[in-house]
Amino acid sequence: MAALESRLRALLSDRRVLDAPDALLAWECDGFTVHKSRPRAVVLPESTAEVQAVVRLLHQERVPFVPRGAGTCLSGGPTAGTDAVVIDLARMKQVLRIDADDQFAVVQPGVVNVELTAAVRHLGLHYAPDPSSQTVCTIGGNLAENSGGPHCFKYGMTQDHVLGAVVVLPDGEIARLGDAGGPRPPGLPDLLGVFCGSEGTFGVATEITVRLCRDQSAVRTLLASFASMADACRAVGAIVRKGLVPAALEILDRATIQAVEASAYRAGYPADAAAVLLVELDGPPDVIAEEADEVRAAFAAHGALRSEEATDDAERKRLWKGRKGAFGAMGRVSTDLYVLDGVVPRSRLEEALDGITAIGTKHGVRITNVFHAGDGNLHPNIPFDGRDAAETARVVAAGHEILRLCVDLGGSISGEHGIGTEKLDHFGMMYSAADRDVMARVRAAFDPHGRCNPGKALPSRGACAEPAKWPQMVAKVLDAEKPR
Amino acid sequence: MSAFAPRSDAELADWLRSRPGRVRLMGAGSRVGRAAPADGAHAVQLAGLDAIERLDAPDQTCTVGCGVRREALDDALRAHDLELPCPGGGTIGGLFAADPLGAASHAGHSPRSLLLGLEGVLADGTAFRSGARVVKSVAGYDVHKLFVGSEGRLYAATKLHLRLKPRPRAESWFAHDGLADAEALARLQALRAEPVAPAAVQLRRDGGGVTLVGRCAGRPTFVRAQLQKHALTESECAWSDHLTAPTGGEIVAGLARASALPGLFAALPATATLLWHGGGRFEAALPDAAASDALLKTAAAHDVTARVVATTAPARRERGSPTDPGAAHLAAALRSALDPHGILV
Repeated sequence: MAALESRLRALLSDRRVLDAPDALLAWECDGFTVHKSRPRAVVLPESTAEVQAVVRLLHQERVPFVPRGAGTCLSGGPTAGTDAVVIDLARMKQVLRIDADDQFAVVQPGVVNVELTAAVRHLGLHYAPDPSSQTVCTIGGNLAENSGGPHCFKYGMTQDHVLGAVVVLPDGEIARLGDAGGPRPPGLPDLLGVFCGSEGTFGVATEITVRLCRDQSAVRTLLASFASMADACRAVGAIVRKGLVPAALEILDRATIQAVEASAYRAGYPADAAAVLLVELDGPPDVIAEEADEVRAAFAAHGALRSEEATDDAERKRLWKGRKGAFGAMGRVSTDLYVLDGVVPRSRLEEALDGITAIGTKHGVRITNVFHAGDGNLHPNIPFDGRDAAETARVVAAGHEILRLCVDLGGSISGEHGIGTEKLDHFGMMYSAADRDVMARVRAAFDPHGRCNPGKALPSRGACAEPAKWPQMVAKVLDAEKPR
Repeated sequence: MSAFAPRSDAELADWLRSRPGRVRLMGAGSRVGRAAPADGAHAVQLAGLDAIERLDAPDQTCTVGCGVRREALDDALRAHDLELPCPGGGTIGGLFAADPLGAASHAGHSPRSLLLGLEGVLADGTAFRSGARVVKSVAGYDVHKLFVGSEGRLYAATKLHLRLKPRPRAESWFAHDGLADAEALARLQALRAEPVAPAAVQLRRDGGGVTLVGRCAGRPTFVRAQLQKHALTESECAWSDHLTAPTGGEIVAGLARASALPGLFAALPATATLLWHGGGRFEAALPDAAASDALLKTAAAHDVTARVVATTAPARRERGSPTDPGAAHLAAALRSALDPHGILV
């Protein structure tokens, strides 16, 4: 067994191959902390050639591997089995090229999302996808997960902003998918489109070409508080019905507001409100001035208790601070936090939130909500103590019912976080065996031997090297639900 | 070719399960000249799957049969102040399978960015679904994205789930023709430099010079201001999403960044036509193989991917930029995975 680690060290150097048990602790989970598993080893390559050499060796030795960015994923996607090697891409953090005229950049996968925007800000450009973890998460991870964020209501997901990628395939060969000219050369299928969001199961992206957007000339950020969640949701519906396309439409519920206001992310949100709605408009100043009037009218028509607008950049940052820090604030409330990310049609938000409240009551768990209202992308947060098996089982059951509700309302079990290991047992809510089989065929085209991030993204019999604790628990709850 | 025109997804799946032999999927036939001849294959006409199955105005999504014609969908959406915000005609299935525009761009949306999911049928008759009906979903692999630009050679998409956008309060198409190369490129550059670029933009260069075509959309004050600032002249919509090969000629298609356009223009003979979409995709109608080869050579010099996509000489099809071996391997593996017997041609 030690021979592999020695050969990895020969490829990279001693200090870039970690296999001491204590050293591996930092890689035992991602943001989905319920599922923990310490990998066999971690390697830290710094170039496409090094990734290729490592993958070739692992392929030759039939060893599974898991590509990993910053580990901020919330579904267990980059958590490796004990027999797998983690290919940590954090050292590949160079911005390789910036082309302001053609508005694209080429980056290594370990570039932190917000640092790309920082690198092009002086050119009046930015990278649009902005997941809440953007100060930490990497472009490579964003590509693997097809990450979204508050501004994807107007600007789209990662898939809409990635033009090309150099990918080390699971057998160590290299494929170039798209380029700065566009993601799909004539005569080829949209390989990049299906690679994006494949949760690290199709290969390792080592160079990524992304589209850069021009900064808008003005931004206006408004916040309204409401006496009920229903009023806030109806205000969202009214704004969209007017034909407005705000850059962001975000809602926080009372419990989240209180958690934020009691935390380091305090933003001055009204603590007595049942919900706050954050609306951001961007565009030419005269255009968004008219739009802001219409947004305020929608606030008023739906009983807003009060509203405010940021008057400068500092105030804008303050209003966003609470929203961006909401998950961190919730993390203070308990030892563990289960963050779901189901999606419902926007017009059914009220129904979904009522259902979530009822599910929480039924299972005796506290559920708070902060969500991308424009996209109908919910984030029910369930704080709990993972050391309490009974409470954890209730959380699992509640999460299962919430995702069932999302699907029953015409939505999806995941809008941003992916399937990972967390939702393997929920996959069947959305897809039939035939659907899953077609996806498995596509996966096999990229990874015929099933060694690239096995046991993730797609349920498959016998693929998971080490069954995760969480899916086992879900399975137990599901089993208990079956009619006897 | 013999023809079969299913009236439902189930009928198509049943027919494919009967192993009819090689099959060519067709929509309205508006791009039929592009495809390589498929002697002996059955033509499957999907234009009859033309129901708008669902139009969810509050959520700005819809589900349409692949045979729904663009005009029919536009009419239905107009009644709800919505639109499918990308140009292109024919059937919706044909538009997405052809993908004439390329990526979502600074100049608006493309089919790729608007496809939320689909219901499809593999060549062996297996019915499946991919994606969702909501505007955001990352559950499962995006098998539906493989349909965009597949030209019906991976599977049949019978129903498409689409993202819609509010119909802008004002819109105006503009067209300037007879422009010199330099002036057209300068005007294009000025439009691209705007924080809010036109909702669609296209350059067409032929013997009469360059025509700049586009669509400004938004609030009335904004549209007026944009037209005025860039001295754009309102006109009827002069958009075209593809070219037709001249008799004995060829079509070369590829991906070109705006900065590569001067080089491509310089390589065109006077009798050629080049169409460039703001999303980066271009195609050129060339009078003969020699002109195509000259353009391909220039494209290679400018790091532009290009290839012959329509020709009267079958041996020249696919001539052009070398396909990346890894991408070619993946494309072949996908085709083999989804259609192992090569039914769809």
